Amino acid sequence: MSQPWNRLSRRQLLKGLGGASAFPLMGALPSFAIGGQHAGHVVVVGGGFGGATAAKYLKRANPAIKVTLVEPADVFYTCPFSNLFLGGLRDMRSIAHNYDELRQRYGVDVVHALAEDINAEAHEVRLSTGDTLHYDRLVLSPGVDMRWDALEGYDEAAAEKAPHAWKAGHQTTLLKQQLEAMEDGGTFIMVAPGNPYRCPPGPYERAGMVAHYFKEHKPNSKVLILDAKDNFSKQGLFTAGWERLYGDRIEWVGLSNDGRVTRVDADNLEVETEFGTRHRADVLNVIPPQKAGWIADRAGVTDSSGWVPVKPETFESQQVDDIYVVGDATVAAPMPKSGFCANAQAKVVAAAIASSLEHQPAPTAYWANTCYSLVGPNYGISVAGVYRVTDGVIAEVDGAGGISPADAPDTVRALEADYAVGWYNAICQDTWGTQV
Amino acid sequence: MGMRLRAGFALAVAIGALNSAVAETGLDAEALQREVLAGSCANCHGTEGRMEGVVPSLAGRSADQLEARLLAFKHEEDSGATIMNRIAKGYTDEELATLADYFSHLPAKEELTP
Repeated sequence: MSQPWNRLSRRQLLKGLGGASAFPLMGALPSFAIGGQHAGHVVVVGGGFGGATAAKYLKRANPAIKVTLVEPADVFYTCPFSNLFLGGLRDMRSIAHNYDELRQRYGVDVVHALAEDINAEAHEVRLSTGDTLHYDRLVLSPGVDMRWDALEGYDEAAAEKAPHAWKAGHQTTLLKQQLEAMEDGGTFIMVAPGNPYRCPPGPYERAGMVAHYFKEHKPNSKVLILDAKDNFSKQGLFTAGWERLYGDRIEWVGLSNDGRVTRVDADNLEVETEFGTRHRADVLNVIPPQKAGWIADRAGVTDSSGWVPVKPETFESQQVDDIYVVGDATVAAPMPKSGFCANAQAKVVAAAIASSLEHQPAPTAYWANTCYSLVGPNYGISVAGVYRVTDGVIAEVDGAGGISPADAPDTVRALEADYAVGWYNAICQDTWGTQV
Repeated sequence: MGMRLRAGFALAVAIGALNSAVAETGLDAEALQREVLAGSCANCHGTEGRMEGVVPSLAGRSADQLEARLLAFKHEEDSGATIMNRIAKGYTDEELATLADYFSHLPAKEELTP
């Protein structure tokens, strides 16, 4: 070991000892369960933006914490940039991530199993393998589940004919195959949900990406969005961008104009709205209402809304001690249900848990969010927000954040499209260690 | 104090038992607070602000330059800004200075132990 330790500043040493910044100095370290001693066992359920980040940052905060990540999939496909796959800008491999860095570099025990039940009283997670994990603290990052009972005619079987593609993977490739099989001159109908749901600007980015694919390959085809709400994220920017790039190829019908779909006939690719208007699609994409991933119900952390109320400073469940919840499953408004927020929340949770295991108070929470959306390949728009706890609730910092300027020139839209890719690469490196 | 910590740290590494060092010293609350403050930066700039690409890397840059740039973003004095002007307004001048200092003390290149 010939490291020039004497070149390190005292601050770096302190950080190294505190674990906060140990890894850039230490590099690849083995698991710290040496001698059987650890600073507590944290089980993380869910390996998406929230869960994978929580696991990594727990180890960064204190390598002596034993961290077990429970995630059924070997490969995780992100919802962010899955719209770019639909638009023909990316392949699925480019949105696939694995758990090698968590295992090899951070010493996280990654278990590919489904968490089937949680006994909060006993602090136990039961796995599909039959094993039971005991935890000192539990992090749930369960994402969303579709509400299969919320929209008449739309259940799991219907989703094989009219995909939601709101969880990336099989559903995404199914929708892509349908778009490719569609004849030119067809209509793509997207049913967009009311608030709250995963990724507020997502449906509208998808509309643009599908329109881009049509423009290139099926120029006589159209996009129709039937929406259960009257306003949506970055609406003015999207609408202006659609007109600029796609003319009248995209039509949006909001709630007030009878846009809310109340019945789906997946066999005939037909939907019916609140006031009885029927629309027939050639490709039908139904994004149904959502709720917290079902394991959150099993843990007893959801309320009657189907989502998870959390303590703002730490994201510990308001209902069950020692269970922390991050990401789309939580009630964290005004923070949106975004991958960025899940990642940001997970870092706060990791610090809060590392502190609590040492009987120290949690650090003050800071979060930010940036959501880039592509309207076209070289046309990006964004919304940002900065958040902290004010008077006991999560609040947006006044005067900060907001959307891209309405009057920005094409050069700025192109720059934001580049930054969207930069953001994706960075957050995936930060979450899973994926190198571009 | 500095010497003792340094010696202790090297020893801990040598015997591969950093866990006991952490257990003995507890967490450095101040360092952890800075990590939390800087947490969201990594979402576009990479872990520890160290990622080359269209979004600039932050690690190891001069604290003065970083602070000046952040303040320019905050006060709309950087005409090239697209999003950092919106984000920098969410932080006090002191927090921006802390962030600048934090990133300046991180190595620009990862130093992996063989």
